[in-house]
Amino acid sequence: MLRKGDIVLVAVMILVVAAGYYIINLTRSSGDGAVAVIKLNNEVVKKIDLNSVAGTELVRLEGKYSNVIAVEKGRIRFQDADCPDRLCVNTGWISLRGETAVCLPNKAMIVIEGEDTATDGIAY
Amino acid sequence: MRKTRRIVLISIMIAQALVLSVAESWFPIPVPVPGVKLGLANIVTIMAIVYFTTAETFLIVLLRTVMASFFTGGPVILLFSVTGGILSTLVMALLYRKFSKVFSLVGISIAGSVTHNIGQLAVASLVMKSVSVFGYLPVLIISGIIMGFFVGLCSTFLKRALDKAGLSI
Repeated sequence: MLRKGDIVLVAVMILVVAAGYYIINLTRSSGDGAVAVIKLNNEVVKKIDLNSVAGTELVRLEGKYSNVIAVEKGRIRFQDADCPDRLCVNTGWISLRGETAVCLPNKAMIVIEGEDTATDGIAY
Repeated sequence: MRKTRRIVLISIMIAQALVLSVAESWFPIPVPVPGVKLGLANIVTIMAIVYFTTAETFLIVLLRTVMASFFTGGPVILLFSVTGGILSTLVMALLYRKFSKVFSLVGISIAGSVTHNIGQLAVASLVMKSVSVFGYLPVLIISGIIMGFFVGLCSTFLKRALDKAGLSI
């Protein structure tokens, strides 16, 4: 029932995925200068230096829906949301540079960016 | 007479696709990535490509996505599903009409699911004005392969049964 083309197609797609993961892992790194950028409706609402956070801070986002974002030292997440799918909450904590958590219904997004000074790795 | 028959058959296809889209929204898949779903309505799209013209298939897909957005989702979700639906129909119709010697219905369905997901991500990156949503692409390609395989199998069995039943359009 399966034809040659099917198998080639799936093989190519899996290769693309493997390449994609490799590239994503290159851009993701846990540098010290992790800054979480919170965007609502494509505008930057807040930038938080994740290393200067003590305890748990909460940030409320009011758009079409409302999101509650929790920030702790080194990590950030959507804590609560009243959007229909709550995928943003299920994404959980993100902490690495390049990671994102998105709430599409509310057009809200958290991206972790690194400071330019952060290095990928240091060898002595 | 034949024309009436076609209109009725197209309406039945839309109704079936609609029921499948709504029923599938009752069973959310517990994956923290937007856009991962079974895509059962794709079975109807594939049947439409096999038994109807490409134009009629587009009509079915368009009406199904618009009407499904009344029941689930809303205007934003509509934008996602229309783009995904049209892109995947385009790819599947092309593969079926031109390359059906190379690809079986399963391969065509997988190609359709994956393009559907890529289309959705493209809309998401436009809506969010950010390319970082493409980080979800690997997950969505893998889920597209799995769901596309399942939908392709269903379509293969359904086509076999319909051919046996001697459906004439």
